[in-house]
Amino acid sequence: MKMFTNRKTIATSLAMLFIVAGPAQAQTDASRIDELEAKAATMAAELAELRANLEQAKESESVQELQSLRAETVAARQAAQRAETSANEWKNTTSVTHLAGYASADYVSPENGNAAFGVNFNPMFHFQYNDKILWEAELEFEVEENGDTNIGLEYSTIDWFLNDSMILIAGKFLSPLGNFRQNMHPSWINKLPTAPPGFGHDGAAPVSEIGMQLRGGRNFGGQGKFTYAGYVGNGPKLEGEDGEIHAIEAEGFAGNPDDEFVYGGRVSLLPFPKLEVGVSGAFGDVAVVENDGADISGDPTRGYTVFGFDSSYQLGNFDLRGEYISQEVDAEPASIAPEGGKWETWYVQGAYKFGQAKWEGVLRYTDFKSPHADDSQEQLAFGLNYLLAPSAMLKFAYESNSGLAGEATNDDRWLVQLAYGY
Amino acid sequence: MKNRFYQLFAAALVAILLGTGVVLTQRPADAAETPAADPMQFARGAQTWANTCARCHNMRDPKELRDDQWRVAIAHMRVRAGLTGQEARDVLLFLQGSN
Ligand code: HEC
Repeated sequence: MKMFTNRKTIATSLAMLFIVAGPAQAQTDASRIDELEAKAATMAAELAELRANLEQAKESESVQELQSLRAETVAARQAAQRAETSANEWKNTTSVTHLAGYASADYVSPENGNAAFGVNFNPMFHFQYNDKILWEAELEFEVEENGDTNIGLEYSTIDWFLNDSMILIAGKFLSPLGNFRQNMHPSWINKLPTAPPGFGHDGAAPVSEIGMQLRGGRNFGGQGKFTYAGYVGNGPKLEGEDGEIHAIEAEGFAGNPDDEFVYGGRVSLLPFPKLEVGVSGAFGDVAVVENDGADISGDPTRGYTVFGFDSSYQLGNFDLRGEYISQEVDAEPASIAPEGGKWETWYVQGAYKFGQAKWEGVLRYTDFKSPHADDSQEQLAFGLNYLLAPSAMLKFAYESNSGLAGEATNDDRWLVQLAYGY
Repeated sequence: MKNRFYQLFAAALVAILLGTGVVLTQRPADAAETPAADPMQFARGAQTWANTCARCHNMRDPKELRDDQWRVAIAHMRVRAGLTGQEARDVLLFLQGSN
C-alpha cells in the first residue's frame, strides 16, 4: 500500500510540476518569438539598408564608369579633331607658296647656217595670302650662243584682289596690250616653237611694262563676259642708230629717262565662252635715250601710240586665233633720229586636234613690217604636235620665211621643241 | 613737266576714290569660305571650267595639282583670264572636289 501511495505522490507531484511548469514554459516561448521577431525585423532593416547601400554603390560605380567613359570620348574626339586639323592644315593656311613655270629644249635647223640645240628655263614663283594678295614672279634663264646664261626678270607683280571684279597690280608685268604676249608665249602654250615674227623682242608688240595696272572681269547676260585691263607705266625707250630709230624697246624699264609715262589698256568681250574679241590701245610720249649703243639724254620727246585687235574662237577640235598690233612713233625734226616709224604685225593661226586629242596640226601665217627692211618678215609655219600631257608637247615645225634676201629672216627653218609647263 | 604733275595728281585722285569705293563696297573677306551654303556652286564651277579653262591653253587635269596648289593656280588664272571672284571660287571648289 505504501508503495502505491508513493507512486501516487510522485505522479501527483509530476502533474503538479507540469501544471506549474506548463505556463512558465509557454511564457518563455512567447518572449523568444518576440525576441526573434525583433531580431528578424532588425535584420530585415539591416538588409534593406545593405541593399540600398549596395544599390547606391552599384549606381555610383556605373556613374563613375560613365563619367570616365565620357571623359575618354571627349579626349578622343579632341585628339581626332586635332589630328584632322593638323592633317588639313596644309589646305587651310592663310598663306600658300607654289612653284610653277616652264622649260623647253629646242633644235633649230636653218636653210643657211648651222643647226643647233638650245634650251631655256622659266621658273615661276607664287605667294598667296588668303583671297587678298598674290605675288607672282617669273625668271627667264636662257643659254646664249657663247655659253653665257642670260637671266631676266620676266615679270614680278603684287596682285591685290580689291573685290570680285577688280585687281590692282603693281610691279613689272607682261604688257596687257594684245593677247599673244601675255597669254600665248609660254612654250607649253604656244602651239609652234617660235613666236610669230613681230611678237618677240624689238618687234611690233610691246613685251612688258613697269607700273601699275587695274584689271578684272564681269559677266553679263547669261554667258557673256567682259574683261578689262588699264595701266600706267614708264613706257618704252627708243634706240637710235645711224640717225634712225632702230627699235622701240618696250620691255619694262625701271628708269624713266624721257620723263613721260605711257597709258594704255585692253578690253575684251566674250559674247559666249568660246569667242573672244579684244581691242588694245596705248599712248604717251617717248624719246631716244640710247644712240649707237650709248645712253643719251635731252633728245626731245615725241608721241607714241599702240593699237591692237585680237580674237580667238574654239569650235570642237578647232582652235582659231588671230591678232594685229602696231607701235608707232611720231617724227621729231629736232631729234637725233628725226624720222618716225611704224612697226606692225599680224598673224592668223588655226589648229586642229586629232587621234584622241593626242595630236595637233597647226598652220600659222604672219606678216611683220618694220621700218627696217632687214627686220621685216613674212612667214608661213606648219606644225605637228604630240601631246605627252596636258602641258607637255613635242613640236615639229617648218617655217617658210621671206625677208630681205641674204638675211636670217629670209631663211626657211626646221624646228623641233620639247616643252613642259608646270 | 607741270602738266605731268596734274596728270599724276588726277591719277592719284582717281585711284584713291576708286580704292575707297572698293573698300566700302567689298564683302567681308571671311564670307568667302562658305561652300556648303550654295549647293549649285560645284556645278557652276564645272561649267566655268569647261567653258574657260581651254581657251588659252590645253585643259589642265584636276588631278595634276593638290588642293592648296589649285588655290594659287586659280588665283593666278583669275588675274590672267579676268575671272570674277565668284567664278574663281566656283572653279576652285570644282577642282578641289575632282582631284
Ligand atoms: C586668258 C588665257 C588663260 C585662260 C582663260 C586660262 N589660263 Fe591657265 N594659264 C595661262 C597662262 C598664260 C599661263 C602661264 C603663265 C605664265 O607662264 O606666266 C597659265 C598657266 C596655268 C597653269 C600653270 C600654273 C600657273 O599658275 O601658272 C594652270 C594649272 C592653269 N593655267 C590652269 C587654268 C585653269 C584651271 C583655267 C580655267 C579657270 C585656266 N588656266 C584658264 C592663260 C590662261
